[in-house]
Amino acid sequence: MLHRLSLRLRIFLIFAALAFGALVALAAGLVFGFQRLGSPETLSAFVQVGVIAGLVILGLVTWVWYLFDVNVAKPIDILAGALRARAHSDVSGEMDTAIARYLGDLAPAATAAAASLAETRNALAEAVARETTRLADEKSRLEALLSDVPVGVLLCSGEHQIAFYNTPAAGLLGGDTAPGLDRYLFDYLREGPVRHAHRRLIEAGDADAASDILCSTRSGGQVLAARMRLIEGAGGPPGYVLTLRDVTADLTTRARRDAALSVALDRIRRPTANLMTLFGVLPEGEPVPARMETAMRQEVTGLSAAVNDLSRHHDEDRAEGLPLAPARALDLLDGMRARLEGLGLTVETAEAAPLLMRCNGFELIALIGHLGQRLAASGHPAPFHLRLDEAGADARVVLGWQGAALSLATLDGWLAEPLGEDLPDITGRSVLAAHATDLWPEGTNGRQSLVLPLRAAPLRIAPSTPPQRDAFLPSGLGARGPPILL
Amino acid sequence: MAEDGRKHRILVVEDEDNIAIALDFLMTREGYAHDRVASGAEAMPRIRETHPDLVLLDVMLPEVSGYEICQSVRLDPALADVKILMMTARGSAIERQKGIALGADGFISKPFELKELRQEVRRLLQGEG
Repeated sequence: MLHRLSLRLRIFLIFAALAFGALVALAAGLVFGFQRLGSPETLSAFVQVGVIAGLVILGLVTWVWYLFDVNVAKPIDILAGALRARAHSDVSGEMDTAIARYLGDLAPAATAAAASLAETRNALAEAVARETTRLADEKSRLEALLSDVPVGVLLCSGEHQIAFYNTPAAGLLGGDTAPGLDRYLFDYLREGPVRHAHRRLIEAGDADAASDILCSTRSGGQVLAARMRLIEGAGGPPGYVLTLRDVTADLTTRARRDAALSVALDRIRRPTANLMTLFGVLPEGEPVPARMETAMRQEVTGLSAAVNDLSRHHDEDRAEGLPLAPARALDLLDGMRARLEGLGLTVETAEAAPLLMRCNGFELIALIGHLGQRLAASGHPAPFHLRLDEAGADARVVLGWQGAALSLATLDGWLAEPLGEDLPDITGRSVLAAHATDLWPEGTNGRQSLVLPLRAAPLRIAPSTPPQRDAFLPSGLGARGPPILL
Repeated sequence: MAEDGRKHRILVVEDEDNIAIALDFLMTREGYAHDRVASGAEAMPRIRETHPDLVLLDVMLPEVSGYEICQSVRLDPALADVKILMMTARGSAIERQKGIALGADGFISKPFELKELRQEVRRLLQGEG
């Protein structure tokens, strides 16, 4: 029971008991002495002595208790509280050892223990911070790496929960509900092919094996070509990486082209066949009957119209379907200027229109550099003037100079040359063909230029938009066990 | 008729014989004086020699392209009044732009309706009148 009382209370009780015991002993001694003396007239003297002695004893004990309490018990309590505070919370700072000056080595020992505890705690915090930073760096690297990947990438746990996805994957999976971390993959994809592939790879037991599958989304009926690889993990069924590619668009494009080709062939075959038949039955050596002449004219008109239509559609489709990356007009112009100046040519540039060009910037810069070099070497002097104008729905790169006109024959010769020793297979003509365009000279009154039309679209810049997150990983330590390194 | 009362002179620069036959019939029926060369190399000497009112110029020619011939005509101040109507079997928008930029007065894609060609020729020739 005494263990439940506080230290100070226990010490108080000890001193109280001591005082009580001393008073009882004094009283007993005085009573015994009075009885032995046997003089009733000395009673008041004994009482006086007893009271005085009792008060002195009480005062002494109280004083000693007070000294004990202030210099021993209370400091012990305070030290204990300070140590407990440092053990259970984030309290730092030095302890007040002055209060425990009568406790010998206890205060320094407590201080040392507290310091050691703080040191350990700091070391642990630093280790945690280092590990958190390392994981955050790895996460950023992974996000940056996978955000530029054009295919959808998903990391899933062994229980088919989504642990990671990039923006292309979100686009492929998302229908009415956007994908999210910790959601089940089969909320977005039909499970059969994925489960079978997962089981096959687990049974194969080969860490390098991959499984190619065709799966469909639950929402929009998109057909996705997917590749699955397992990821080693700690315990439980292994997770996996799923790369997704939408083949729906490819299939649609191919189907559209096949359909267009069928229509084209049909539109050409019919009038051609009809004309062959008509010519086949023409009476030789006789005038063409009026009905047959009319029929032949109709078929030729139809054939002519079909060829013109198909040519126009082909022209439009070819320009739209160019597999070229977008590049800002300003960046392209700056690259061209840098190339020309790198060749020792003086260039003045005008501000480029805010356009997004669909082009192979590398090849176009090489082409302009090649032409600038040839112009300078053949008597068409710098400074050159370089600009990128908006021209209706498209744009034109214009390389200008003051001086004699450039003949088309000379230009055609330059365009047939490789663009450089490191580009032996790329000529100006091949670059123009890849961009479905051409290049020609224009000029009046001594101001000459080379004009290069390119496909472009207006560059829409949204002000103050937050940076787009292109990949999504769970944040915080411990969300997914050890980091996944790809 | 030209301003001086003579027939309009048209030079056909076309390497494909069948088209040339059709154009020959058409030019005759329209009442134009016409001539034909079948290669690009012959075109400029003939143009300088005969100074036609209009050149029907095919783009894809052997030896010298129609574009080069068009540029050469436009670079010669003495031939400034010669109209040029370019013809091409490919006829993309870019080719059209290039032809017009090099100085062609008109551009027509094959296969064309002869009615369309007739109208275009009249438009260009009457532009001088």
